[in-house]
Amino acid sequence: MLKLFYRRLALAICLVGVASALTFALIASAPGNAANFLAERAAGPKATHELVQKIEHDLGLNDPLYIRFFHWVGNVADGRLGESLRTGHPITEEFAQRLPTTIRLLLGGGVVACFMPLLIGVAGALSDGGVLDRSLRVLAIVGASAPNFFVGALLVLLFSVRLHWLPAFGTSGLLSWVMPWVTVGLFPTCVLSRVVRVTLQELMSRPFATTGFAKGYGRTGVLVYEALPNLAVPFLTTFGAQFALMIIGAIVVESVFAWQGIGAFFIDSIRFRDFPAMQAILMTFVVFFVFVNLLVDMVCMLIDPRIRRSQFESA
Amino acid sequence: MINRLRERLGGISPYALIPVVLFVLVAVFAPVLAPYAPGMQVITDAMQGPSFAHWLGTDYLGRDLLSRLLLAARVSLAAMTIVLVSALAIGILIGSIAGYVGGKVDLVLISVIDIMLSLPSLIIALALIGIVGPGYWSMIAALTLAWWANYARMSRAVVASEVHQPHIEACRVIGASHWWVFTRHILPSVLGVVLVYASADAGALVLSIATLSFLGLGVTPPTPEWGQMLVDGMNYLEDSPSMVLLPGLALTLVVVSFNVLGEAIALQKLPRAIKGRVLLKRIRARADEEETVKRGVQ
Repeated sequence: MLKLFYRRLALAICLVGVASALTFALIASAPGNAANFLAERAAGPKATHELVQKIEHDLGLNDPLYIRFFHWVGNVADGRLGESLRTGHPITEEFAQRLPTTIRLLLGGGVVACFMPLLIGVAGALSDGGVLDRSLRVLAIVGASAPNFFVGALLVLLFSVRLHWLPAFGTSGLLSWVMPWVTVGLFPTCVLSRVVRVTLQELMSRPFATTGFAKGYGRTGVLVYEALPNLAVPFLTTFGAQFALMIIGAIVVESVFAWQGIGAFFIDSIRFRDFPAMQAILMTFVVFFVFVNLLVDMVCMLIDPRIRRSQFESA
Repeated sequence: MINRLRERLGGISPYALIPVVLFVLVAVFAPVLAPYAPGMQVITDAMQGPSFAHWLGTDYLGRDLLSRLLLAARVSLAAMTIVLVSALAIGILIGSIAGYVGGKVDLVLISVIDIMLSLPSLIIALALIGIVGPGYWSMIAALTLAWWANYARMSRAVVASEVHQPHIEACRVIGASHWWVFTRHILPSVLGVVLVYASADAGALVLSIATLSFLGLGVTPPTPEWGQMLVDGMNYLEDSPSMVLLPGLALTLVVVSFNVLGEAIALQKLPRAIKGRVLLKRIRARADEEETVKRGVQ
């Protein structure tokens, strides 16, 4: 078991390494030059060729790509992410200010996306083929298709502009978090509730469900005691994928509610071609995706002996 | 290929196809249908409700909302088609090379594909836009480069499973060239599978285009696009919510219709999968029988 864990961890670290090298190479090959930009900011339109060359030398832009990459990795290991070209502040400072907002947004959305689908999916499975089941199915399709910026705008229109119940922006107070959490959680909720519904239906036709009926459980009993435990693995894998995808939702939600999180930082850095910031944020995202996937795989291995066994066989 | 497509699409309820066909028709004939030029501003008519002159009202610059919505459909469809076709071309090419050549080439290509797929496509697209700089064509290029890996993976799987079929080996034995075998015997099956999935994927692509435009990194003014119209309208949410509601509704409707189509296609495929599984069981059962017979003989 521990051996499997280490193998999976090594794989994850490799993936982060390869992905960071790729993003570094891509961003380094981007047209436009940070030195030109910095020289212009320092000396205005009078920036001389010498000044540009001096900055290039100072930043080490003339070194070969792999040396620059290892230099950057060393800096990251020291906790230095460089300075944002746009603001001139260290990127770590920006991160310290912005990360809590995004993390709280993702966690809140994750809670919504974890419990709502179970509720909706089980409710649908219990009223199999009934009005509730069918209307929930239609709602799930619509919810999974509606763009999240539109969902956010609708919520603001209804609860802030018309009803004055919730604030339309800001992060002060629990109330201002409700709409962003719902907005970011709606898409994964809809996708997951369909997964729950379909998987439950499939599980209910398996032999162990028949055994459950034979033991004298009713439909609800079989659903809760026999089918739900078997739902864990498919649910967790989809949840992991959807949770990682919520970063896109976070980018959009931060833009709708005018929040200063990592997502907004990313969009700003793209707009201003702030390469050091982009590199740092992309790396954060990659680590986040890989970590979430790793965690999901681990948990699945822990709860389902079949997966452990198949991994051992392939090892 | 046509047969495979018909086989998969033929059984689909026309109700799943109608909305998509309607969207395509509206998009294609948008300039004819639109009552006004989408950029025509009459500032004295700004932010009006629905009237006979302007069926859906006007925006904050006095532009006709209906005309802008219709032309935005055209912009969406055009961008989506360009991305889909180029992503399909790249994906099928790379996936086929990986599947057909195999060996080390396959290993390298599949690693690249897997790394691409381990990140959400929209994040890849955003990163690429950041590198090249925002704009319509960089959005198209970024989405294409973010999207091809899906199709590459699918094509590779189909090609790899077809290459070792007896009829393909027979073709090689009687002297057919690789090119002939690939284009006549393998490519049709690849297209049959991948095109069907791609048609279901179109909704996600329309959504991505709108999201990028909403973030100001895709279609930029004055070209009308739903995501970009919506973000424009956000400032006037209190006075004139239709500037947000209408583009949002249009976008949602189009994505819903593509997703319903995708759902119908997936359902259509279900019996085939079950058939395959039953077949597999029978083959296994027969193998077991033979095994026992052999043991009995021994």
